[in-house]
Amino acid sequence: MKRYFRELSVVSALLAVLLSLALFAPAFFSPQPLLSLVTREAPTLVVACGMACVIITRQIDISVGSIFSVCSVSAGLLVARGWPLALVLPTSIGFGAMFGAFNGFLVAFLRLPSIVVTLATMVTLRQGLNLIRQGEFVNLPDRVQWFGLSQTTGQLVLVGTALGVLVTLAWAMRHLAIGRYLYAVGTDAEAARLAGIRPQLVTLLVFVFIGALTGLGAMMNLAQSPQVQPLTGNGLELKVIAAVVVGGVAISGGRGNLWGAFAGLLLLACVSPALTHLHVEAYWEKAVQGAIILLAVVADGVRSRQGRA
Amino acid sequence: MSTTTTSAAVCNVPGRNWSKVFTSHEMLLFYVLISEWLFFYFAGTSTNRRGGVVGFGTWDRQFDILRHSCEIGLLALALTPVIITAGIDLSVGSLLGLCAILFGKIWHDGGVPIPVAIGLTLGLGALAGSLNAVLITTLRLPSLIVTLGTYSLFRGLAEAITHGSITYTDFPENFLFIGQDHWLGLPTQAWVFLLVALAIGLLLHRTTFGRAFRTIGLSPEGARYAGLPVERRLALVYVLAGLIAAIAAIIYTARLGQAKADAGTGYELFAITAVVLGGTSIFGGTGSIPGTLLGVAAIAVLKNGLACLPVVMRLNAAEEMSGLLTGALLLIALTASVLPKILSTLRIRHHTSAPSTPQLPR
Amino acid sequence: MSSLLLSLRQLVKNYGGVRALRGVDFDLRAGEVHALLGENGAGKSTLIKIVTGAHAPDGGTITLADQPVAELTPATARALGIACIYQQPALFPDLSVAENIALRLEARAALARIDWTSRLARATDLLARIGAAISPDTEVRDLSMPEQQLVEIACALGSGARIVIMDEPTASLTQKEQHLLYAVVRDLRKNGVGVIYISHRLEEIFALADRVTVLRDGQSVGTHAVGDIDEAGLIRLMVGREVAQIYPAAESAPGATVLSLRGVGCTASGVHEVSFDVHAGEIFGLGGLVGAGRTEIARILFGLTPADSGQVTLAGERVDLRSPQDAVAHGIAYVPEDRRRHGVVLELPIAHNITMAVHPKLFPTTWLRFGAERTLALDYIRDLAVKCTGPEALGGSLSGGNQQKIALARWLATRPKLLILDEPTQGVDIGAKIEIHKIIRGLAQQGLAVILISSDLPEVIGMSDRIGVMGHGTLRAILPGGSNPHTVMAAALGTAA
Repeated sequence: MKRYFRELSVVSALLAVLLSLALFAPAFFSPQPLLSLVTREAPTLVVACGMACVIITRQIDISVGSIFSVCSVSAGLLVARGWPLALVLPTSIGFGAMFGAFNGFLVAFLRLPSIVVTLATMVTLRQGLNLIRQGEFVNLPDRVQWFGLSQTTGQLVLVGTALGVLVTLAWAMRHLAIGRYLYAVGTDAEAARLAGIRPQLVTLLVFVFIGALTGLGAMMNLAQSPQVQPLTGNGLELKVIAAVVVGGVAISGGRGNLWGAFAGLLLLACVSPALTHLHVEAYWEKAVQGAIILLAVVADGVRSRQGRA
Repeated sequence: MSTTTTSAAVCNVPGRNWSKVFTSHEMLLFYVLISEWLFFYFAGTSTNRRGGVVGFGTWDRQFDILRHSCEIGLLALALTPVIITAGIDLSVGSLLGLCAILFGKIWHDGGVPIPVAIGLTLGLGALAGSLNAVLITTLRLPSLIVTLGTYSLFRGLAEAITHGSITYTDFPENFLFIGQDHWLGLPTQAWVFLLVALAIGLLLHRTTFGRAFRTIGLSPEGARYAGLPVERRLALVYVLAGLIAAIAAIIYTARLGQAKADAGTGYELFAITAVVLGGTSIFGGTGSIPGTLLGVAAIAVLKNGLACLPVVMRLNAAEEMSGLLTGALLLIALTASVLPKILSTLRIRHHTSAPSTPQLPR
Repeated sequence: MSSLLLSLRQLVKNYGGVRALRGVDFDLRAGEVHALLGENGAGKSTLIKIVTGAHAPDGGTITLADQPVAELTPATARALGIACIYQQPALFPDLSVAENIALRLEARAALARIDWTSRLARATDLLARIGAAISPDTEVRDLSMPEQQLVEIACALGSGARIVIMDEPTASLTQKEQHLLYAVVRDLRKNGVGVIYISHRLEEIFALADRVTVLRDGQSVGTHAVGDIDEAGLIRLMVGREVAQIYPAAESAPGATVLSLRGVGCTASGVHEVSFDVHAGEIFGLGGLVGAGRTEIARILFGLTPADSGQVTLAGERVDLRSPQDAVAHGIAYVPEDRRRHGVVLELPIAHNITMAVHPKLFPTTWLRFGAERTLALDYIRDLAVKCTGPEALGGSLSGGNQQKIALARWLATRPKLLILDEPTQGVDIGAKIEIHKIIRGLAQQGLAVILISSDLPEVIGMSDRIGVMGHGTLRAILPGGSNPHTVMAAALGTAA
């Protein structure tokens, strides 16, 4: 129990928020809006799973928002051109993986700090996209909407996919050797190397992985609206990092798990509607997000100092 | 066996003889700057129908470059000591926005005279910087995540205060003078920028503070064993960064004549790129203000020169191109800075164990 | 039945100019516990590094189970069944005990499915075999140091090694845990494993080992069955004859008391009940074996790990040293043991290194005065005879001895009342050693109070006016300078002389 104290405290906070919503704004729980909310967050969850892996390895990737935008727009353009969805999906994933590989190569083999590399990639991709698209939207054909299914079915499919990714990944991180390597490399890359693991390869793969997941998320985003705008991924990285950090994944690497990240994501997702129902303006969202990140990091810092002392 | 190789590697770290640093990297950058300027001069200047010169090669344009580069330049100056201590501050751009809004609000809603408003804003900027400072030095939290959090918090506060839409305008003439007019031949804000550059330059290169920053960046433990007040010095760089971001906010507001919540968005990338271009190592321990100034100049010329190129004007894509190229430039600069180390490591790899992947600092 | 597991003949190893091993003979039989004894610097760790494949010898032969071995690397050593348990456990703190053991012992493919049940079972089994009451689920960060040590032992056990090297395994264990360890060692012996057991505890060696080899100055000076020799005999072998090196003698009597410790301790670093005085003009040596607590005393006095018990008095005034700044303000200077990481900043020029601790005095307005700095640096370069190309040369370009001089210069510039030197001549060539000794005596002559921490027995005995011998975190004895090495060693080992 002590082991999962951090994750449990996030879950408690989540339950507290849900409880107060149930009491003061029961409208929050009406099925259709709730399903829509959860569906909107499904792509974010998928990316958050990847981000948790990256941060556990003691790296960071702030370019996911731009990768998301690029993949969304590219996928949208391909679909608009008549490509079958079955082909566009792997293409989007592949695109994301490709950008991830670029980041990963620079970090793993050129030994550059991931914050600066992904900062540069983030801006380059975003501005490159703006240059090419000039802010133009991509209108999507009807067959993309909800993958051609009815709205409710489509929403359930999307949520199901996100949950499926979460469960599969959580299982893999516990039960596959490579999942454990993430923790070893994130704790002490040198000791991991001496134990026979290859930290550089692991680092490269984790960036490719988050890129691929971002591509998947982009496709999931595509199915939800009639058009794609180039700004679609803006702010995604902060949202995802906040969720993951709040959920107990330490920025110093080596600890945390996906369930905590999931709880963190749900908590942060509830904050926005909770603010609305409390008649607080939406403009407080970024401030609250930032404050939550800081609180989570401070709490972790204080806790580890107490443990060490 | 491994110890002697390591010491050899340390001695061969590129350009770490101080006189060399001041000649090789900065000189290289200087040549790049000159070439860049010349390129834009020839490609971006033309004559209009009346036979006058327009485009890049005009005095107006050059002053504009100077004017526009002051804010990013100030942020770059603020970030140089931070990066030298092997830290980072992602919140400076957001803080610029927050301070601009606070200034507007204090003057507009508070009705205080402009100089008082400026003073209060500077104080608030330093206070915000001290939030970063406390979290990073007292709680020993990684500067990366702390400033990522404040990056969001500060911008969020700016948006919340203005309800996303309020813009403060109608500033008095003598205030706008700071941002839009000239003084003794140069744009007014250029004087402020030069003053701050001088102050930070002296601090970094001529005082014990600068020495302490360098030592902390090279070896925080070594600094501690030498009796240096590590926490106090680290706190100083972040408070300074906040203060300078506030100065940049004042200038920004004066230049545009308005204070909006999105002021300074994306500026941190340009600032970091300028600092890294200028020769400051992202890993800490080395860096110079002249280098940062050259880096700022290079980026400013790039940004503004692009806007003068006919092809870019036709596409109306000046901002996108400059962002794109700056991002690419940062990647190239980073790669170039580590390439010598990588190549020498590959050569001596079979003698020692391979160094591990860099990770976020604890 | 005993067959030879390991045989080392005439092993030679040089590090730069230092001859760490000068022809060592050693062999290990199956089912034997062979103790390795020797003072610091005798060559024990070098020997271990060679056997585990970390370093290659410069001469001599290694034979494993009657097969000569041309080249050993850490990987091949492991594959050949050689395991080593070091003093510092090298586990992943955020992973569980079971996982740490598994990472150490499993050979795996990246996409291999992890069998947690078998991992847990194996960990439980290994931990039970050594009698450790540790749950395999626990995160290593929640274990104490001794418990982590036990996990390391479990790993070694599980690796099925035929040769197990233990480097001072009981150094951080409690009584109970020590007995657990002895049982493990006996168990290993019963199973035909050969154990190389490095220890300073003579009673342990007599209780556990079958044979003991003593190393001195890089050579094996004697291998005996444990029943054939006694404590005195072992000490005699360790210490040998007096090394005829001349140390500069004190020319005047010590002056007033500068430093006074009464009952000083720091729970975190394991130091307790330390009391001694140091006078002006005196060199107080702190001797003892590695881990005795000498550097910990220095760290307490320098404010790095403040004391939580006892009293420190400096020049008659009670002081509370909570940080290095406090220490410096009171006139305490510390030249640390780790020269390259803490003593000198290698990437900075000599001048910057020398002035690093005197910013408030040399640059009172915080404005740097390069001329004054250069003059100061040149003065010290001259006074300490530092061989360099000038004050702008980088710290990393100097030899070990010269780096040590720079580290010393930094602190001399602060004009301290008390100077603590931690292993000042470690890794320094003989010429520079003699120079540094002269410098230290000269400083004492000028009225400085000096604490000299050294693992070099002749150096401590030769240089000090009085010797505080430490062991297990406390001061065991205060002996006069020039004491019989036998007496000093006996005090360090905690036995009667």
